[in-house]
Amino acid sequence: MDVFSNILLGFGVALSPQNLVYCLIGSVLGTMVGVLPGIGPVTTVALLLPISFTLDPISALIMMAGIYYGAQYGGSTTAILINIPGEPSSVVTSLDGHQMARQGRAGPALGVAALSSFFAGCVAALLIAVGAPPLAQIALQFGPAEYFSLMVCGLVAAVVLAHGSIVKAIGMVILGLIFGLAGSDINSGVRRFTYGLQGLADGVEFVALSMAIYGLAEVAVNLEKKEVKSGIAQSIGRVLPSWADVRTCIPSVLRGTTLGSLLGVLPGGGALLASFAAYTLEKKVARAPRNFGQGDIRGVAAPEAANNAGAQTSMVPMLTLGIPSNPTMALMIAALMVHGVSPGPRVMTDRPELFWGIVASMWIANLMLVILNLPLVGLWVRLVRIPYRMMFVAIVAFCCVGTFTINSNTADLAVLAFFTVFGYICLKLGCEPAPLILGFVLGPMMEENLRRALLISRGDPAIFLSSPISIGFLLAAAFLLIVVAAPTIRRRRDEAMVE
Amino acid sequence: MKANGESVSTTLACSVMLAVSFLAVACASVGGAWAQAYPAKPIRLVLPYSPGGIIDYVGRTLAQNLAGPLGQQVIAENRPGAGGITGTDAVARSAPDGYTIVLMDPAIVINPTLQPSMPYDLFKQLTTVSVVSSSPLVVVVAPELPVKSMDDLVRYGKANPGKLNFASAGIGTTPNLAGELLKLRAGIDATHIPYKSIGQSYPDLMSNKVQFAFSSIAGALPFTMDNRVRAIATTGDTRNPVYPDLPTIVETGLAGFEVDLWLGVFAPAGTPPDVVARLNAAITIALKDPELGKAFAKVGAMPRGTSSNDGAAFVRAEHAKWKKVIEDAKIKLD
Repeated sequence: MDVFSNILLGFGVALSPQNLVYCLIGSVLGTMVGVLPGIGPVTTVALLLPISFTLDPISALIMMAGIYYGAQYGGSTTAILINIPGEPSSVVTSLDGHQMARQGRAGPALGVAALSSFFAGCVAALLIAVGAPPLAQIALQFGPAEYFSLMVCGLVAAVVLAHGSIVKAIGMVILGLIFGLAGSDINSGVRRFTYGLQGLADGVEFVALSMAIYGLAEVAVNLEKKEVKSGIAQSIGRVLPSWADVRTCIPSVLRGTTLGSLLGVLPGGGALLASFAAYTLEKKVARAPRNFGQGDIRGVAAPEAANNAGAQTSMVPMLTLGIPSNPTMALMIAALMVHGVSPGPRVMTDRPELFWGIVASMWIANLMLVILNLPLVGLWVRLVRIPYRMMFVAIVAFCCVGTFTINSNTADLAVLAFFTVFGYICLKLGCEPAPLILGFVLGPMMEENLRRALLISRGDPAIFLSSPISIGFLLAAAFLLIVVAAPTIRRRRDEAMVE
Repeated sequence: MKANGESVSTTLACSVMLAVSFLAVACASVGGAWAQAYPAKPIRLVLPYSPGGIIDYVGRTLAQNLAGPLGQQVIAENRPGAGGITGTDAVARSAPDGYTIVLMDPAIVINPTLQPSMPYDLFKQLTTVSVVSSSPLVVVVAPELPVKSMDDLVRYGKANPGKLNFASAGIGTTPNLAGELLKLRAGIDATHIPYKSIGQSYPDLMSNKVQFAFSSIAGALPFTMDNRVRAIATTGDTRNPVYPDLPTIVETGLAGFEVDLWLGVFAPAGTPPDVVARLNAAITIALKDPELGKAFAKVGAMPRGTSSNDGAAFVRAEHAKWKKVIEDAKIKLD
């Protein structure tokens, strides 16, 4: 039992008093920055980087990893309570999570989010322990062509994700793609659709877009209702999920964990797709009665599980290949290099205590986070009782401060204002914003990989059919398109949505 | 007077809360200026890129080491955007009092040639305080490629026209221009494949979808240590301590082929000369600390520390050098 002895070694390292303390510091800090607007895990890790130079590399990495997971837990709190997803991955959580909060079921939503994150985190850590090297090989199979096909598949799934009208969903995806085009083009460096504004040189800021469309636009809609009693139900209901809730979620959590673990391994944006993909899958396969979008608890469980599993397995390419999946991982690589550790395949053999210590700390951090977050649920839920006339002021302030602090860029506030109006119009027209967000996030990555693949093939599109992985995703996309487009099936789809 | 007018318009444009904080800062700066000699309050060192890169690392290390010689905290602040232009522009427009300075890489001299319009004028609105570090790039090639040296690479390129791709961290970045310079000097053909960062290109480099790249040493180190990509040369004027066995490109026969990913500290033009001198002296002391040298070496950077005048002359020379490459290689943003 080689894995077993390795895991024991890991726990030996991770359970040392010093590492436990850094793990706790990281988890607490991470939860805080996840809940607070504007300051994310990247900023926090960057600020702590100089301090980490004086630490043992294992402690430093355990603390940074704790911040990273903690932010994932904290991020879903704001998404559920006040409909403000701070990062792309919690957009999906807010769809059903916030509806649950409005029905007085914020407690179960938060509880299920924490529990499914915990479960997924544990499974993903086990998966890394057993299969990190082969998993890393999957990541190396993905070149520009494979990523492009994956993104195509994701975008087609965005249409399936939407409720109701397919035409509206396609329209929103295309609008998302268009908004995603703004900014400096990576291939030519030309600024597109910036209208000469320096503030748009890097494109539309995601946090401003999502805070506007989800947070502020909803405030506007709530304010125009005559009796502004409350956007959120007064009664709190249960604080923790019931056993029935948990039981309903089990299959969803399992599916979400599987999807998230696999997609998380891909450094080129796989983890981002995880929660969207899990939600789409739930809508298709979850057992009736389904009321996704109206507060289905499985709509919280599956994406949260996928999100956390993906966050965890995205450590695989970092630890085993030295390839960062996101900016936080890039900082962790920097921290390791300063300590003379070069992340790569040799870390597992040369520094087993480091690799297995971090894997073991994933379990510990997840346990700490769930212990930390479950009692907090009671506190958060009490916030919901605050009268809406006070809440909306807080939400507006929250969104403005949060948006401004990301880049200290006043242009982002203009973007926030613009998309609040835009989001309000969308809500009035019954157009769902989720496909737009997916188009906005995936569009630029899809374009980047498309053009890179074609540059490498010297313009020959056959490159997309040159690998089985790429062909597989394109076929899956084509299949989804046929399912959506075929009129008879479409009628059935609409019926399914009516439930 | 000018600064006052600006702060009034800012106040009008911003929300009440922001205005209050701006006023608080303005009051503090007036009070500080009267009270004691420079530096009387913490200094902001703007880093115009996202956390995680070499500027971030060198900047934060330098900021920590400056606190001693200056007797004031130096606060490193990431202000990313538009390839460094946003953060640099913010400093170019700030009060020339020495309390807001910026650390920038060669993009500061490349952008004026490359960009069709710039929000600030490098030579009119910024003053060089000191060039603080030098770091060469390292030439890495795909492991499958039968190339073990610069000569091999050039020969392979000439024998297989249209087959080579080279990766960069985006158009107009130092790795891009270094590749273009090689194409011009060695007379080979290669297709430029831009990535968002050089780190992103390594999976494609390992699988030979991209054949070579001029990479930062920090980016290359994890991959060259266990030969997942092959390092063949560095671009400094001397060999780099991180790769003592690798020849410089100049050694391999391309005279004058030096590419330096230098970093320099700049202040707004009009900063009083004694303030610039005070900053320069503190930077010179900080750079002499052996601990800082060790910290820089981990990302392949060597402490440098020029006088303000020498730094300015170097910046002008770098501007002219890259301007010629950009024009000869006909690099255009279109």
